[in-house]
Amino acid sequence: MPQLCSLVRRRKFDALRRRTMALTLFLVVLLVCAMVADSQSRDEQARPGDCVACHGRADVLPKNHVPTASMDAADCRACHAKGSPLTLVAKIPLGHLHQLHGITCNQCHPQGTLAGPLTTEQCLACHGSLEEVIARTATTRPHNPHGSPHGKTYLACDLCHHQHTWSENFCLLCHDFEYRVP
Amino acid sequence: MGSQKQKNKGVSRRDFMKATGGMAAAAGMAGGGLLLGSKKAFAAEMPEKWDETFDVIVVGSGFAGLAAAYEAKKAGASVVVLEKMRTPGGNSIINGGVVAAAGSPLQAKAGIQDSPEILLQDMLAAGLHLNHLPLARIVAQESNNMVQWTINELGVKYKDGVTQEGGHAVPRMYSTYNQSGSAIVEQQLEKLAALGVVPRTGILLKRILRDNDGRIKGVEVREGYLFPKEGSGRQQFIKARKAVVLATGGFGNDVAFRSVQDPRLTQELESTNQPGATAEALREAFRIGCTPVQLSWIQLGPWGSPDERGMGLNPFFAQLCCAMYGLWVDTLTGKRFVNELADRKIRADAIIRAGNKCIAFTDAKGYALGQKALGEIMNRLIDRGVVKRHESLEAMAAAYDMPLAPLQETIQRFNTSVAAGKDEEWGRYLQKDQFPLETAPYYASRLMPKVHHTMGGVRINTDAQALDVETDAPIPGLYCAGEVTGAVHGAVRLGSCAVVDCLTFGRIAGRQAAAEKPWG
Ligand SMILES: Cc1cc2nc3c(=O)[nH]c(=O)nc-3n(C[C@H](O)[C@H](O)[C@H](O)COP(=O)(O)OP(=O)(O)OC[C@H]3O[C@@H](n4cnc5c(N)ncnc54)[C@H](O)[C@@H]3O)c2cc1C
Repeated sequence: MPQLCSLVRRRKFDALRRRTMALTLFLVVLLVCAMVADSQSRDEQARPGDCVACHGRADVLPKNHVPTASMDAADCRACHAKGSPLTLVAKIPLGHLHQLHGITCNQCHPQGTLAGPLTTEQCLACHGSLEEVIARTATTRPHNPHGSPHGKTYLACDLCHHQHTWSENFCLLCHDFEYRVP
Repeated sequence: MGSQKQKNKGVSRRDFMKATGGMAAAAGMAGGGLLLGSKKAFAAEMPEKWDETFDVIVVGSGFAGLAAAYEAKKAGASVVVLEKMRTPGGNSIINGGVVAAAGSPLQAKAGIQDSPEILLQDMLAAGLHLNHLPLARIVAQESNNMVQWTINELGVKYKDGVTQEGGHAVPRMYSTYNQSGSAIVEQQLEKLAALGVVPRTGILLKRILRDNDGRIKGVEVREGYLFPKEGSGRQQFIKARKAVVLATGGFGNDVAFRSVQDPRLTQELESTNQPGATAEALREAFRIGCTPVQLSWIQLGPWGSPDERGMGLNPFFAQLCCAMYGLWVDTLTGKRFVNELADRKIRADAIIRAGNKCIAFTDAKGYALGQKALGEIMNRLIDRGVVKRHESLEAMAAAYDMPLAPLQETIQRFNTSVAAGKDEEWGRYLQKDQFPLETAPYYASRLMPKVHHTMGGVRINTDAQALDVETDAPIPGLYCAGEVTGAVHGAVRLGSCAVVDCLTFGRIAGRQAAAEKPWG
């Protein structure tokens, strides 16, 4: 009986070990992929059609998408017009749109500095004063997303607008305000 | 069923032993704080190396925490403010901006007689005399001083008139210009920034580090914490040379903890609180030996609406337009069911007892008053369908499936009371400019009580020192202020008294913390 027990236990253990090894291997591969992708991401020379430069793979755009290598934001808008069902707003991380508008990495993260998150003041340097930003969305329903009664700290841009990942609707934490956040 | 029960019991006991460690559990059963060898049960391992050092560590960035930080900094201490959420301000920055001031200049202007003693009596009556008197007395005495301090020292702007909250004998509330606590918090933040203190967000308090000698030495935190992700962020140890001020607010949005204290407050009930109003810091305070007090007194706000999330905007309408100048009625009967200016507990209980089918309403005159006092807020309420306009009484009754004749009778009776200058039916305080309800159109909203304020918490003395559960003596190096403390308000906190409570004890805590002798 004890032998049987230990046999069963060993088998179980082996299976567990195999599974653990497979999992470890998988995680290592994942990590390496991520590192490769990351080391290539934020390539400041990247052009719109050159997805590989950042993503490490070419199939980012849908199959049969027209070549975009020589395009800028205006060209994209020819198909992806603002307000149309094809709009890019809230569909790709904002960093792409900045890039397409010719705002390159170094304009936000000056060369030689560590690329950290930007302050609201840095965003406003291009986008106008807080008052102007608030006025721009004055008619948005059900509530002006920039007109929070909770004060200036609730208007920090990066609560909602992210550059290198998907933006989010921070208001949803407490309210039912549905917005498409660029 | 039986075996399931047994299983649960077994698991929970094993978990308990695992979580506490067999020895500690045994000690705990024999009586908290027993010696384990030479080590106190509350004592933590002190880190070999501290990542940072400050004189005073303030945890929480609401009224209380910011007031403490301000006073400590002004007294010359080095100060850091830690906040787990991505924005500072907690419940304070989303609060309604209504602040009690007994014996204020605005009252004098309106010819209203008032005094700190009358406010104290109101607080004790609503609090069922469970209030710790010395604490309540400080709040009552300081109310007007504190409002004047926010004006003169912080530069807070208020509207030019007083309003009345339930449970208060007279109108005595100042309202911030934007009807939000943000008007106060923003000024606090600005003043602090000028002194070089900016709250650090995304930092969760994990452990308060109390040494074997009984003194608080610092905190363990998670830096880069992403609410509500368990385990996110990086472990850091911060040393407090003088003191830690715990100002982590209430636990109204912590379903697990609140329903332990009051089993009726399940998930079914919404809360007006910010999502981070949870109990982990309070649990930690108890773990290191703070004294719990009156935890099961949890207040429901009677003026919530099922037609919007959280606190929303309905409380303004239901209170100002309806409790002061209109009526609250039960749609099942068409009758009043409570004194609309009773304290929150009485009103919330009455709504639930009536079967949760009550509305607040006012007539065109009451609505106009609301528009004058609340401006844009009234438009939003209509826009979002929280407040509905009804062309006639008949239409309003029909909209809520309410019997018309008793409703008409109710209004008739109230109007007679207004003419007589006395509310015969419910004894409600009548306003100096109270008018009969008779002008169409009518405006109404549905009422739904929501979990609003946790009266209980950590026991403190009048110096805001946390008191040890074992000895009743102050825990060296630990101050608590704001909603995380208990017994100031007893059974029921009166509306508008929390701001005063938080600012007053926050300031005391900050001054006292800065005056502590450093331990190292
Ligand atoms: C919607 C609403 C409206 C209100 N209106 C009024 C009013 O008009 N008048 C009035 O007198 N009272 C009002 N109150 C009550 C009053 O606002 C609160 O009691 C008060 O804001 C509490 O202040 P505080 O500083 O104690 O806590 P808070 O302002 O809640 O601040 C505590 C902070 O600590 C943080 N924290 C918690 N745990 C941790 C942790 N483990 N680590 C790090 N940080 C942590 C929280 O995230 C929070 O930011 C209202 C409350 C609400 C919810």
